[in-house]
Amino acid sequence: MATKLSPKEYVKRGDRLTGGHRLCAGCGASIVARNVLKGAKDHPVVVGAATGCLEVSTSLYPYTAWEDAYIHTAFENVAATVSGVEAAYQSLKKQGKIDKPFKFVAFGGDGGTYDIGIQSLSGALERGHDFVYVCYDNGAYMNTGFQRSGATPLGAWTTTTPTGKVQPGKPQQRKNLTQIAAAHNVPYVAQASIHDFRDLISKAEVAFDTEGPAVLVVLSTCPRGWRCDVAQSVNMARMMVQSCYWPLYEVIDGKYVINYDPKKRKIPVADWMKLQGRFSHLFKPESQHLVQELQDYVDREWERLKALASLPNPGATTE
Amino acid sequence: MIEFIEGNDAVVRGAIDAGCRFFAGYPITPASSILVSMMRELPPVGGIAIQGEDEMASIGMCIGAAMTGLKAMTATSGPGVSLYSENVGLAIMGETPLVIVNVQRQGPSTGSATKGADGDILFMRWVTSGGFPMIILSPENVQDCYTLTVAAFNFAERYRAPVFLASQREVGLTREAFNYEHAWAEAPTPLPRPVAAPDCVYEPHACPTPDHVSPMSPIGGPHLVRYTTSTHDQRAYLTGDPDVIEHMTNHYRRKILDHAEEMGIYEYDPQRGADTLIIAYGVCARSARGAVKMVREKGGKVSLLVLKTIYPMQRRVIKEAVAEVSRVVVPEMNMGQYVWEIRAMAPGKDTIAINRMSTTLISPEEIIAKGGLL
Repeated sequence: MATKLSPKEYVKRGDRLTGGHRLCAGCGASIVARNVLKGAKDHPVVVGAATGCLEVSTSLYPYTAWEDAYIHTAFENVAATVSGVEAAYQSLKKQGKIDKPFKFVAFGGDGGTYDIGIQSLSGALERGHDFVYVCYDNGAYMNTGFQRSGATPLGAWTTTTPTGKVQPGKPQQRKNLTQIAAAHNVPYVAQASIHDFRDLISKAEVAFDTEGPAVLVVLSTCPRGWRCDVAQSVNMARMMVQSCYWPLYEVIDGKYVINYDPKKRKIPVADWMKLQGRFSHLFKPESQHLVQELQDYVDREWERLKALASLPNPGATTE
Repeated sequence: MIEFIEGNDAVVRGAIDAGCRFFAGYPITPASSILVSMMRELPPVGGIAIQGEDEMASIGMCIGAAMTGLKAMTATSGPGVSLYSENVGLAIMGETPLVIVNVQRQGPSTGSATKGADGDILFMRWVTSGGFPMIILSPENVQDCYTLTVAAFNFAERYRAPVFLASQREVGLTREAFNYEHAWAEAPTPLPRPVAAPDCVYEPHACPTPDHVSPMSPIGGPHLVRYTTSTHDQRAYLTGDPDVIEHMTNHYRRKILDHAEEMGIYEYDPQRGADTLIIAYGVCARSARGAVKMVREKGGKVSLLVLKTIYPMQRRVIKEAVAEVSRVVVPEMNMGQYVWEIRAMAPGKDTIAINRMSTTLISPEEIIAKGGLL
């Protein structure tokens, strides 16, 4: 289980994704990348990035914001390319041709992970490569102009889930990537959020220290796509966590651990939905039931997660 | 009424007027606006638009919908065509009518996401394993995006084959004046899909002569329909009989090549006494028109052949046009692709390739200078 970093230690660790990149104001992607890389401590890292906002905005000609070795891959296979890098590293190590203690990380957005990249992610997890996969999840294809993805919440407006008399935004619930990753029985899967840096870094640290595949799914605000106030970016993620829409939890060798339980301070999903323009149409009388539908879904998933967390450690011997 | 719309909008309008009722696509610049518009425009006319989880899913859904009786279209850019490749072969093998819009951007790979090029011409031509003829139409402006989309649907249905619309960023995302009535009048009449009679003994790939294209019967319709991507006979049973395989192989080729002239869309503007011919397609045709105008205004002589049907090759008109001159100039926004087709058809002629792959357009002045037109 991840233990939180002290603020002093946090400050000591430098930035390996430097300033000067051109992500939008309030974007969560750079917060994810910066803090995850802090979790690698002093190890040299190979960064793989699927096509997406993070990739486009951090490597604009003729600059780069990455302090580590960096591979931009196709949209669909960052996990595969990083698999190849890691496998080659193991071979070189065995041959005695490399001795640096490299770590490997793949970054993808939700489009590049939930949708087009899930096959290569699944393959890499099943093969058991020693790498960390990080999905920064802002719930749509923001880079190509706000199209829906498998991570888009029910009822959200995107350019391909338009709102109008017939359709009130996205008709389906989102899929649960964290659970899909956990179903691969990899050693470490965790869900984190941009609002809690220390939690995120600690989880990244565990992920990098884990032998074998580790997956981090991180809630990442996109003020442009969510149609919300830039200054509220971090607060938005905090509220979504507080509503249990985005629980902070880990799956360590199959054991579910909830890191944050708001208990009586759990807020309704409507509290943050009201602050995001992508849901504004749902607050008209004729669509209110969808807010409730999302609330019911979140409550159900939260109860299910708590039930999973109450199960005994699958690795422990039963008497 | 004159509207101010982009090429991608005109593709959507043309598709809907051609009877397209199914669209599946995946976000990619500069083709995304077709996906977004289809999401908005298709449901009100009873159609369906779906965003796939990737390009393979998108084209796969289109093939399924087309075989179930709907006219189907998908749209992407170069990296998406790479992922479409296997399913384009599948559409050829299963004789599935399908329109694929490729709003090209500079490659390879992610390339220049919002900058245009014509780099995929031979890629689209040879997109499938096995190497079979493709039908590829290339619009040069917004009106072409409308009329050629209608034509693409007609060819797809008439020849039961996937058809590429080789658009590109400059054409797809540039807004210009569009006269809908005029475009409608210029466009071919949309053809209904030829459907097999309900009481016939249905053979999905009946071709008594190799160039014959038989009507389809939708999956779920009056006949039991078989569809296979493996080598099959006219009944869609797998076969290893060399004679049957040869017949079917000829069929996929000759149903396109023997009807090349029926698909001929081009503008030939010869000038008496001209010694040079410019052959152009797509957005370069507009620069070529500019160059021709400037040369003629200054008293020079030059002929122009603008090809909207780039495949199947319009051999008759190209041969005729080339025979009149000693020099042929072929401007392309790639490193020289279609020019090799022209060279093969213009032995002994001085064939000059003008190429640019810097994400900027080839200007009329560049054509004049490099082509030695003045």
